[in-house]
Order: sequence, then C-alpha cells, then structure tokens
Amino acid sequence: MSAKESIGIRSFRFLTGALLIIWLVLPLIPLAIWSFAHGWFFPNLLPAKWSMRAWEYTFSDTAGVIDSLWLTIGISLAATVLSILIGVPAGRALGMYKFRGKEFVELLILAPIIVPGIAVVLGIHSVFISMGLNNTVTGVILVHLIPTLPYMILVMSGIFANYDPAFESQARSLGASPVKTFWYVTLPAIMPGIIVGGLFAFLVSWSQYILTLLIGGGRVVTLPLLLFNFATSGRNDITGAIGMIYILPGIFILLLTARHLSGRSGAVGGFGQI
Amino acid sequence: MKTLITGGKLASASILATALVLTPVGAYADTADGDALIGKSWDEVVSMAKGGEVNWFLWGGSDNINQYVSEFVGGILKEDYDITLNRVGLSDTVEAVNIVLGEKESGVMDKGSVDMIWINGENFRTMKQGGLAFCGYTDTLPNNKLVDWTNPSIANDFGVPVDGCEVPWSKTQFGFAYDTARTENPPKSIAELLTWVKENPGKFTYPAPPDFNGSVFVRHVFYHAAGGVDNLLGEFDQAKYDEAAEKTWTILNDLEPSLWREGKTYPASISAMEQLYANSEVDLTFNYETAGVGLNIENGVFPPTTQGYGLTDGTIGNTNYTIIPFNSPNKAAAMVLQNVLLSGPVQYQKALPSVWGAATAIEVARTDAETQAKFAAIERHPNVVPAEELAKAALPELQSSWISAIEKGWLENVGN
Repeated sequence: MSAKESIGIRSFRFLTGALLIIWLVLPLIPLAIWSFAHGWFFPNLLPAKWSMRAWEYTFSDTAGVIDSLWLTIGISLAATVLSILIGVPAGRALGMYKFRGKEFVELLILAPIIVPGIAVVLGIHSVFISMGLNNTVTGVILVHLIPTLPYMILVMSGIFANYDPAFESQARSLGASPVKTFWYVTLPAIMPGIIVGGLFAFLVSWSQYILTLLIGGGRVVTLPLLLFNFATSGRNDITGAIGMIYILPGIFILLLTARHLSGRSGAVGGFGQI
Repeated sequence: MKTLITGGKLASASILATALVLTPVGAYADTADGDALIGKSWDEVVSMAKGGEVNWFLWGGSDNINQYVSEFVGGILKEDYDITLNRVGLSDTVEAVNIVLGEKESGVMDKGSVDMIWINGENFRTMKQGGLAFCGYTDTLPNNKLVDWTNPSIANDFGVPVDGCEVPWSKTQFGFAYDTARTENPPKSIAELLTWVKENPGKFTYPAPPDFNGSVFVRHVFYHAAGGVDNLLGEFDQAKYDEAAEKTWTILNDLEPSLWREGKTYPASISAMEQLYANSEVDLTFNYETAGVGLNIENGVFPPTTQGYGLTDGTIGNTNYTIIPFNSPNKAAAMVLQNVLLSGPVQYQKALPSVWGAATAIEVARTDAETQAKFAAIERHPNVVPAEELAKAALPELQSSWISAIEKGWLENVGN
C-alpha cells in the first residue's frame, strides 16, 4: 500500500514539476521565435519570413548589448555581495534580538518595497549628486542596494529566527576563535538563506531601470535600459533577441542554486518573521 | 570604489565595468560656460570641441535611427571633428528632462550629464520655462542659414516660441494607415472616420491620451468639432475651449460603443495599438511620424500591404528639434553636432526611406546644387504617403496650454 501511495505521490510531484516548467518556459518560446522572425502576424502559427536581423543588430557595436551584459553582471554581483555583507548582520539583529523600536526599524527596512520607486527617485538623484556619486558605476551599485536590501534582510531575519546560537557558544567553549566559529558553525547554518537572499538581491538589481537611468545619467548603460527601449517601441524581434540574452544570467544562477531552493531547505522555513 | 567592494573577483569585475563606462576625459576645453561661446567664431568653437565628447539623449526604440545616429552621424563627428558621440537611448524623452531638472535643483550648474536631447512640445516647454536650455547661440552655427526661421511652424514648437533655444532636426505630419488586403475604402476625413467606425464596430481604437499619438488624434476630432482650427490658435481661451470640448466629448462618447472592446479599454501606447493593427484586431492605425509606415513594413512590424494616407480635411504637423541643456559641459561639441545634423548631406541621409525617411527641417533650396539634386532623386517608400502631398493639407499644432486642457478633459469626460 505504501509503495503504491509513494508512486502516486511521486507521479504527482513529477506532474506538478513538469507543469511548473511548462508554465515558466512557455512564455519564453514566442520571445525566441520573435527574435528570428521578420514579421509575425495573427493568425499565422509561425512567422512567414525568418531573419537574423535582430541578432545582427543585437551583436553590433551600435547596440552595445555585449558590453552592457558584462557591466550589468558586474553591477548586480557587486550589489549582491554588498547586500549580503549588510543583510546578514542586520538579519541577525532583527531575527534574534528584541529591542526598543524594532517595529520601526522593520518598517524602515521594508519601506523601499512599499513606497513606489518613481516617487522618491528624484530625491535620491539629488542626494547622489550632492555626494558626487551620480554618473558612476559606484553610485549605481549603491542605489541598487535600496531595493535589494529589504529582500536580503527579510530572508536573513527569517533564518536567524530559527537559528540556535547555542551552537556558537559550544564552539567557542571548545576553543574555536570567533572567526573559526563563524566559518565552521554559523556560515554553514545560514548558507541556504544567504543563497536565497543573494538570488533575490541579484535578480532585483538585475531588473532595475529608472534608478539606473537617473543615477547612471546615461553613462552606465545596463541591459534593462537597452531592453526597455525596444520593448516599449513594439520591436518584438529585437526585444526577443536582447530578452534571450537578458534571461541567461538569471537561469544560470537559478541552476547553480536550485538545490538550495527545494522545500526541504532550511531557507524557506522561516519566512514571515517580519 | 575599491574601498566598497571587498570580494577580489568582484573588485576586478567592477573596476573593469568602471573602466568600460567612465571614458577618460581628454585634453579638450570644458565648454560649460555658454555665454563665453556666444559671439565666438565658428572655427574657435570647432577647435574647442576637438578631442571631446558629446552625450546625446534620444528615444532609442528604433534600430534604424540608432544606426543612423551612432554609425553615420557618429562617424562624421569622429572623422571630421575628432569628437566622440555617445548615444544614450531613452524609452521616453521626459527621462532626460528629469535628469537635467534634478541636476539644476541640486545645484549642478556646469557639470551636467546631458549634452543634447531630441525634443519638442511639452518637454521643450519644461526646459525653456525652467531655464534648463542653453539659448541664443544658433546664429553661430554656419548651417543655421539653411533653416527658414520665418516659417511659424519652425519658429514655434507647439506654439512656444523657439527663441534660439533649440535647432530643428526633422518635420513630421500625422497620417493614417490601413491594410489594402483587409480594407477597401478607408475613411479619408474625420467626419468619414466617425461614420466608418459606427459601420465597422470593434475595428478602430486610439491610444488613451496623454499618449503623444492618442492625444494628437483627439485634437483632430477637437478641430473637427470646433469647425476648424483658426479659432483655436493663440493663447488658451476658456470660452472657446468649453464650446468645442463639449462637442468633442459628445462625439467621442457616442463613438465609444463602436470602438475596439466597446471602448471599455484603450491601448496604453501607440506601439500597443500598432500590434493590434498588425494582428488584425483593428483595421486602421495612425502615427505622428508618417514615415514610420515604411520602416514598420521593412522591420516586419506591419504587413507589407499596409498603405499610409492623409486626410482631406488635413492633418496636424510639427517640427522636432535638438536642444542643449544649460549645464552641459560639452556645449561646443554639441553645437558642432547640431551643425552637422543640419547639413544638407546629413539631412539627405535621414530622408532616405531605407535609413529613416524623415522629412527634412532645412530649406533644400538653400543647399548646394548637388544636395538639391540628391533630394529630388529620393525615391519614396511606395507605401508611405509623400510628405508634399500631406503638406498640402497641413494643420498647425495648438499651444501646450490647449493641449494639456484637452488631455485632462478627455481623461475626465471620455476615459473615465
């Protein structure tokens, strides 16, 4: 009986998995087809004419997509690392300790998600100008922290809420230095959270448009800037081609971290602490 | 920079990224001081611009335009003037205006990031009224003599006097387009259109104002309701507005049940409407840039059987310009760029249907004989309505105050 049930559960799991993949991949197929199409009109199931023009433009110097790809990867990785460096201690404080004004701090941290970016971006712009950070990559990385940090801190405070600091005390009492304790005890325990939060941070930074445009002043041209130019003008062929490149890093990172994202991972356990 | 990034690999990645973006500043002169440039000879301006760069912010949604700007214009700037053109693509021109506005509010008076913007209408008004434009230098440009500043449609940008604050680049005129394979007799005037829509329910719509193109369509209906545009020119007049507006909203509300999806929703942008047209959901489309029909066919956005046409009662035209912000540090280079853009051969290249097909903003008769002959020999895209034919029935634009009142009125009375 149990064998039968487990086959049932297994095939159910397989089916839902397959459905999820189809649901995620299906919308990408027209994008891929469009990038090779020269006109694609209803009711044609496939384009009548094919063309490499969108790809030729995408790889041309004029389009600047490849330079922009490396730049965007650099910015998003830097924003992710900074988010982790700030988010881990902040998450520990919020997840493990009670202190006066904690609710207020939590609200402040969540504010960038609640307040629409467009409402504050001009103010942020003038602050960055006065600090001399506008039109620089550094400025763009820093401004990306505003939307990435809430996700990172949210995930880490969830992790630390379920975390038992007694393990650290044991390691210390056995003679481990604080660095060793962190490296061998704390880090492995919170690793799933760092990966999930880092993934969020990377993807949030990866998709920034208006913050990058304003703080970067047009000097820092990330992929979303190039992509939205064509997406808003209805050029589905070039949007498709740039879009295919745009989703690559996300898929790559998702594959690398997939095993930490399963339901069995501790990272998902502690959501909703804040 | 280095102090911020701690991971070794990241530091190198980011430093590499910085190196890619922050082009080293050459030995060229800082020309942020606009007053010092006015009155200088052209040769002096050119030599001050030499070796510098110019950051041109313009709508970046067309590969044809991007290639013309980066490769053709950028090539001339590099070869003839040793100036590097950095084209910054925008999804909406207001994004560049906001950068300049933000810089002014933060006190950035001479180190702005924007050296030039492709602009007109509302955005120009913001720049001019906000003191964000560099003005009074246009006589220095040698090719300024090719511009007919006595033409009111050049000297006024949507009713706002240009006053030497910007330089014309192209002219456009509103036009319709239909698919000859689907529709036999498209409506040729606003009156015919209103009947046609009721006879062909669900086959017409327009982008919701304040979309640029949706807004100009509503103005055509407004002109029609007012019985002509002559009464509406000049300063905003509340009484005249109220009379024409009431008729306009009645017409458009009567039309609503016959629109695409019974007018319950309107496309949010012109590109959304163009997709509806391409996929046969609606049978007519229109654009303020009539030459766009040719490019859209060549780019596979429109079916090849699409044909552009004008209206017998006329369509609205405008001129678009390039403007130099007050705080641009590369004003000399931007002036050289504007002068290049105005030259006969560069305007000719832009007018070629395979490049762009944009109508020139200069007086071709004032160019040399060779350029005139080349302009005369341009073969129009067969599916684009010729600019001369459209120009026979051209209507002027209203002042911005009228336009914003109409847009607001539409939202309150029709689009609610």
